[in-house]
Amino acid sequence: MVNTALDIASAAKRKNNRVGYYLGKAILYLILILGAVIFIFPFFWMISTSLMTLGETITRVMLPKVPQWQNYITAWNEAKFSKYFLNSTLIALGTIAGLLFTSILAGYAFGRIEFKGKNIFFALFLATMMIPESVTLIPNFLMIQSKIIPLPGGSWMNTYWALTVPFMANAFSVFLLKQFFAQVPKELWDAARIDGADHLRFLVQVVLPISKAPIMTVLLFAFTGAWNAFQWPLLVTTKEVWRPMMIGLWNFTSEAGPETHLLMAGAVITLVPILVVYFITQKQFTQGIATTGLKG
Amino acid sequence: MLEATTAEKDVKRKGLHYLNIREQLTGYLFILPAFLIIFIFGLFPIAYSIYMSLFDWGIVKGKFVADKNYIMIFGSWKNLLIILVGVGLLIAAEWVWKKAFRSNKNGEMIAKLLGAVVLLAGGGLFVTGWMQMAESGNAQFLNSLIVTLYYALGTVPAEIILGMVLAYILYQEIVGKEIFRMLYFLPYVTPSVTTAVVFQIIFSSRDTSLANRLIGWFGADPLKWRFEPKPFLNLLGINLKGFLAGPSLALISIMLYGIWSFVGYNTVIFLAGLGNIPKETYEAAEIDGASKWDMFKNITMPLLSPVTFYLTLIAFIGTFKAFNHIYVMRTPSAGVSVVTASLMIFDRFYKANQYGVATAQAIVLFLIILGLTFAQNKLMSDKVFYG
Repeated sequence: MVNTALDIASAAKRKNNRVGYYLGKAILYLILILGAVIFIFPFFWMISTSLMTLGETITRVMLPKVPQWQNYITAWNEAKFSKYFLNSTLIALGTIAGLLFTSILAGYAFGRIEFKGKNIFFALFLATMMIPESVTLIPNFLMIQSKIIPLPGGSWMNTYWALTVPFMANAFSVFLLKQFFAQVPKELWDAARIDGADHLRFLVQVVLPISKAPIMTVLLFAFTGAWNAFQWPLLVTTKEVWRPMMIGLWNFTSEAGPETHLLMAGAVITLVPILVVYFITQKQFTQGIATTGLKG
Repeated sequence: MLEATTAEKDVKRKGLHYLNIREQLTGYLFILPAFLIIFIFGLFPIAYSIYMSLFDWGIVKGKFVADKNYIMIFGSWKNLLIILVGVGLLIAAEWVWKKAFRSNKNGEMIAKLLGAVVLLAGGGLFVTGWMQMAESGNAQFLNSLIVTLYYALGTVPAEIILGMVLAYILYQEIVGKEIFRMLYFLPYVTPSVTTAVVFQIIFSSRDTSLANRLIGWFGADPLKWRFEPKPFLNLLGINLKGFLAGPSLALISIMLYGIWSFVGYNTVIFLAGLGNIPKETYEAAEIDGASKWDMFKNITMPLLSPVTFYLTLIAFIGTFKAFNHIYVMRTPSAGVSVVTASLMIFDRFYKANQYGVATAQAIVLFLIILGLTFAQNKLMSDKVFYG
């Protein structure tokens, strides 16, 4: 008797709880969806506008009646994206190659080799993450013009080197790889050493094949960094030869003037490579920054 | 017998020594390429900036002027001294408030009173020094520091709070968690120039711009957004003047962009931080009858505090570095109301070609960042819980 009474009471309570539970969940989802709408709406709006006619951008419509796909071709030609697109791609590839080379070696050394002054060097590396570009920008600008120390080939203004070499190493990538390399079990190294392998061989044949995830993260950040570069290219390119995509888009903002549909089409074009790369690899991307963020 | 073993040992030691040198050399060789680039483009320029700031440097190096470029910022060293003493007193006030006269019976009362006095004195000195600087120094640069401060105060707390709330919700059992996370992170990875160009149009002064349509739904009249140099509060009819008037509507448009693009990053990091909190802690609390809010306040917040601290620091430094989106979204009619310190320095250098002045300003900015980071470390370290 007592038992059943209690059962009924608790069942009623549970039912009550369940209503509360679903209500709570509904509110949570509402907040999440509202957040998603706010984050996504500018993208939706950009794409929608990029497919409108000039008339439609001025009136109060949300969606174009007939999508104007040719806007993309017009924008591509008017903004001279053919040249800029190629430039940005080549700049990204060169930066990535250089960055992977320097940061894999340095990450390995900091993670697995004992040498004098290691901690001091590592601290120096990390310190650069706190330094605002404002401080380094001006000397670097003079440096690129070969005015501080003579550079091979004289001034690097308007050259490929000016846009890639300064970005071929950064503390973030070294840090991220060091974290991972340091966790490779010591037994593997002992076994490799008995087989007569030195550090370089161990790195190439054992460590690299099991380090695809962090290397992908470094690669992706290097790609977005190179693709998004704006301030530095603005300084060191005065001619079209090596101007990258973002400068092209920036110039296009004044050229397109009131033709917002073309400007938005241009904006979508600059976004596509990043979106493709992001959607393919977003898991590594978010995981990568999460680990560095937490341990940094 | 004995001799042989010592010889053997000797060979072994020499061998080890050789191995050790080899190991060390490998280490140096491995970090060399990265070090060269980081040193040349990241560390050496700081020293060179200091050097440049001591010269009358236009496009080419001029004559040595010692501290003239710095005097141009501060008006005189005396002004800086007054400000620094003011800051010193503010720090002292905090110490007095918390720690002084603890041995005395009425100590706490006295300490709080004295602390308040010191606080007022410090604040007074700071404001006096600042006003004198603005009069005799570089008012434009000082204004850019205030704009930067508005920008930091207007974005960092909002980014942290929104990021934490979204992460906390996502951490519950949510269907489609991965998709939400991916969408939230999108504004952070997409090129800032591209998204800033989109926001340029969203916050345009046209009557039909998206921002104006949105406020139109609530019955408000169209605003000029990015083109509005007037403080937002004045537009609301609150006629405060000077620092208290707050940021211009143009700067607020840029802040909204800043928050939009950065919340996702915080969400992802907070989410990872939440994942590191052991589930048992919550289960134990639940058995003890703790409510959701109790658990959030007494478990989540303290255990998450190192992450919060890290993110606040990163966001704060980030506001001093912010450039691309402000450069893209600014308008001539918004004038200096949106020019943060990093833009001011860039304009000095790129448009006015005053390299010496610009480097001096950059060094001052750098010292301010260092000081603030240090202060933040001190202030928050009491409150951060490292398990």
